[in-house]
Amino acid sequence: MCDIIWCKKVQGEGKPCETVNYLDPYCFWNWKGNINCAHCGTVYYIHMINGHMYEGPTEQKAGTKPDTSPLYADKPLEGYINYPSGIEGRTRPFHCLPRHIYLGVPDMVKFSIRGRPLRGWRPQPKSAGIAGQFPFNWEMEKLSPEVAAEYQEKIAKGEVKDW
Amino acid sequence: MAKDLRECRLEDLPGPKSKQELDEMKMPYEAYCKAAFAPGHEMSKPEALKGIRWLSTTMYIFTPHSVANLAELGAEVIKVEMPRMGDPMKHTSPFNEAYLYPLHDTRPMTGTGYGFTSANVNEYYLSMDYHLPEMKEAFYRLIKMSDGLTECYRPGTFDRWKQSYRFVQELNPRFIYVWGGGFGYGPKCFGGSYDILGQAHAGLASVTGMHEFMGGHCTKHSNWCIDWYSGTQITFGILAALHWRAKTGLGTMIEFSQVQAATRVLGHAAPLYGRFGIVRQRWGNWDTQLCVHGIILCGKSDFPDAINPQDKFEARYAMVSAFQDKDFKALCGVIKKPDMYSKYLKHKDRVEGEAQVDIYAQLEDWAKDKSRGEVVRILQHEGLLCEPVMNDREVYESEHYRTRGTVRWMEDPLFGDVLVQGTYSAGLMSQTPRRQYWIWRPVGADNVKIYHELLGYPISKVKEWYDKAWI
Repeated sequence: MCDIIWCKKVQGEGKPCETVNYLDPYCFWNWKGNINCAHCGTVYYIHMINGHMYEGPTEQKAGTKPDTSPLYADKPLEGYINYPSGIEGRTRPFHCLPRHIYLGVPDMVKFSIRGRPLRGWRPQPKSAGIAGQFPFNWEMEKLSPEVAAEYQEKIAKGEVKDW
Repeated sequence: MAKDLRECRLEDLPGPKSKQELDEMKMPYEAYCKAAFAPGHEMSKPEALKGIRWLSTTMYIFTPHSVANLAELGAEVIKVEMPRMGDPMKHTSPFNEAYLYPLHDTRPMTGTGYGFTSANVNEYYLSMDYHLPEMKEAFYRLIKMSDGLTECYRPGTFDRWKQSYRFVQELNPRFIYVWGGGFGYGPKCFGGSYDILGQAHAGLASVTGMHEFMGGHCTKHSNWCIDWYSGTQITFGILAALHWRAKTGLGTMIEFSQVQAATRVLGHAAPLYGRFGIVRQRWGNWDTQLCVHGIILCGKSDFPDAINPQDKFEARYAMVSAFQDKDFKALCGVIKKPDMYSKYLKHKDRVEGEAQVDIYAQLEDWAKDKSRGEVVRILQHEGLLCEPVMNDREVYESEHYRTRGTVRWMEDPLFGDVLVQGTYSAGLMSQTPRRQYWIWRPVGADNVKIYHELLGYPISKVKEWYDKAWI
């Protein structure tokens, strides 16, 4: 956790919002832009450098569009009412993207280190079966045609190895 | 054997009976082993435990691994998971990043983490909320049709849900029931457990790592070694129970405490305390019984230009063993410290704590301007036992493991190309080898196979349960 925005925006009844919006380091480690409070929707501008709040949070005019949302928020003074991730308009969904190990950019791995296809990215097409049933074979040509095509290219380039 | 023992028949004599057997006997041992074990050809051989059906209501690594062992040896294992959620281990992955998708139709953005690997291979994945009264019938029917069950809930939970050994024994007297968990009955009965707790509570972590005066602390293993170990111990129990059942026709209850299991690996700790009142201490990369017999730090990495930090900085350790007088003399000669040999002539002089501090310091002093590879080369050249401390990449690239099939690539039917090491690391068997058909399957992937094809429920019922999230 690199930082939080504790929203104190006064609400209609004269009470402050008192929502803690968590700024997860995955997204906010080096970031600037507008982010909404998960409870009252107030938009704040922040600029973070290496996990430190360099500028902000500064409240923006009503109606400003947020660039993103917090991943999670809670109201600790009200018995820990919380907003889990993925509530539309309040919190961001947790995508859990694998990162490139040095650059930190999302890197959805589709091939193993020896160049053969690996079903390791999301979202995947739904199963055609009943009650969550999954067939035994990954029909790559049907379910993931773009990966099947890329695999053929890799074979042609000689990038597919045994080890 | 001939009826008349004085008669000597060719087939009773030792030795080859056919040309094929003769050829086998003339083979060099190495070639014989290669032919007998034939890595990569496991699927053509029979399975030792075929015909055994086991239920697994387990989570994380410890209890699932006890059942995965059976599945690798051919048992039909049905893993029963909570609907739409699955084993919590599915949501556990190194640094939250390595996942394989899909997990379940209702959760398109969630995958199964690599933490799940090796502990649940070859199993059928059923989802069932088995503590609902509505699902009890299906659960009991599975009990009647199976040989055993492994569960990992807090002690008494299954009893409260009317599915503990006391209850299932009534349905199936041949049933083998395994409870695996933290403490088992006793004053800490309700304590849960994790691998780290097992290592800590059993006293194992207290003797792992370097002593504090050498800059060390109590240490847990990076991997969950006590989970893997305890699971395997349960498997031994299950195999013994199956043998007992074959003789008597009776089931067994196995109650397996993880913190208890970890005490077994402590070797001489308890008898030492019992005899002298001495509490065993940590001795880290060195050894309390043998010297020189430890891991030393070399000055330079073998791969200074590598990108991966484990190669770039950490490929600096080597294990050295030279505790016999002759070897120790040779070692002192190599590092040009003949006075060290004359100082510690006998092994009982070398193995003393103070002596070890001195000896290993001198060894590391010699190695400080050398790379790990140089140290290994020099010592091996002198006929001493020395090997690099390898990392995962080096294990992957090791010709030895590739020849034996320990680490290998496999084409998982659902997830594609995966590198596996678990199944094939557990010893080779010439007649009924372990094998891996698939690494895992999504939550409820085999619902139709089990509910409809095995238990005979109509598809409409299966769909109804699915819509209600009971399965």
